[in-house]
Amino acid sequence: MADMPGRPVRTGHPPGDPGGPDDLGALIRLVGRGDEDAFSAVYEQAAPTVFGLVLRVLRDPAQAEEVAQEVLLEVWRTASRFEPGLGSAQAWVATIAHRRAVDRVRSAEAAARRDDQSAAAAERAGYDTVAEEVEAKLESERVRRCLGTLTELQRESIVLAYYGGYSYREVAGLLGTALGTVKTRMRDGLIRLRDCLGVT
Amino acid sequence: MMRFFPGRNHTPRPRRADLHTLAGPYALNALPSRDRDRFERHLAACPACAEEVHGLRETTARLAAATAARPPERLKDKVFAEVARTRQLPPVTAGQPAAGRRRPGAGRWVAAVRRRVRSGRQPWARPVALIASSVFLVAAVVFGSMALITQHQLSQAQARDHMLAAVLTSPDARMMSVPVAGGGTATIVMSHMAHALAFSSANLPGLPAGKAYELWLMGPPGDRSAGMLPHAAHGMTAPVVATGLHAGDMVELTVEPAGGSARPTSAPILRMPL
Repeated sequence: MADMPGRPVRTGHPPGDPGGPDDLGALIRLVGRGDEDAFSAVYEQAAPTVFGLVLRVLRDPAQAEEVAQEVLLEVWRTASRFEPGLGSAQAWVATIAHRRAVDRVRSAEAAARRDDQSAAAAERAGYDTVAEEVEAKLESERVRRCLGTLTELQRESIVLAYYGGYSYREVAGLLGTALGTVKTRMRDGLIRLRDCLGVT
Repeated sequence: MMRFFPGRNHTPRPRRADLHTLAGPYALNALPSRDRDRFERHLAACPACAEEVHGLRETTARLAAATAARPPERLKDKVFAEVARTRQLPPVTAGQPAAGRRRPGAGRWVAAVRRRVRSGRQPWARPVALIASSVFLVAAVVFGSMALITQHQLSQAQARDHMLAAVLTSPDARMMSVPVAGGGTATIVMSHMAHALAFSSANLPGLPAGKAYELWLMGPPGDRSAGMLPHAAHGMTAPVVATGLHAGDMVELTVEPAGGSARPTSAPILRMPL
């Protein structure tokens, strides 16, 4: 068995800050071999993002704690399957966290709110607060600035979907916009955000 | 022959431009499962789209990082308590091609199996072909949901494909289909020669949030987890491959916390001697 296989070539990615993103990837690979000390370091790096994101989506600290625990445990369980060539460790962890948070939101609220136009209208009021709160609290000045370069519809679509955990159909309902338009704005907006953030 | 295999040919083809715009909602995890599955099938055949999704995922990761918040101290204790009794998934086995990996679609491993069967020159080639061709049809249906895997399960799926092919092409491959207590059906293709089995299910009851189905091998070498069943798509779960099968093992299925358990914590809803 070859030990320490070479880092696969990452295509389409900037190397990232030295000791930053790559560091987490290296740690996760150690975790994949059962290294609990490495997991402790992964926890220190990843737990704030995991917890913060899950909390943002769920808006309930108790549930967020539960889901964050599931996410971090999944990182431990599946670390050996992390494939650096397919993206950064940050994206891998964030994807797990976001998916779990959204699963929780949808399983809890799905029946009640899906395709319910009156509920959507009622939530519209609540949404504005959420969106503003989210944007105000963003800790990364750069992300905030880049979100500011998007059109209103792009920004609202992305914020509602990612931080609100809404499906694109729900977003269309909340914004009173055609489904096709929302799909397009999400993509256009993310592309603009990607370019603004220097992610290639 | 191809008509037996579900997948591309049977999928109604949405307009390409329409599919392409799904990259945004997909990266935001905002697609309902049906659209997500459709888009993932598209991704498998569209490297440019995969590359775009890749960049958009890195972008959403930045959105995630921007929300970082200090978790309560007790979270760490809880996580580490769980870690101490949670088995990790084994690494992808050596001998896997390391480069040029593409997300495999449903048809791909089926094709691989067919190639192997066709090129078989060994004395047992014929029985394998016979068994494999009968397993084929069923497996194509049972495992037709292969294409539904998600991006971050990619390498896991590749290892699984490898093992799936090994199980299905094994001369002693045997298929069993059994009802599950509480509803649904489990399908197992097992091979003692490959020391492995593939497990998939159809129409198992939905579980509350935070719960998942866990597969177990119980037998002489001890009781061990064979992994969690993935989320069902269209009522079916993609196959889980359990390796390290021993004579005298039984398969069990239980409902566990979503993160998995070190040993079963609820009564099995399926128990099957192999």
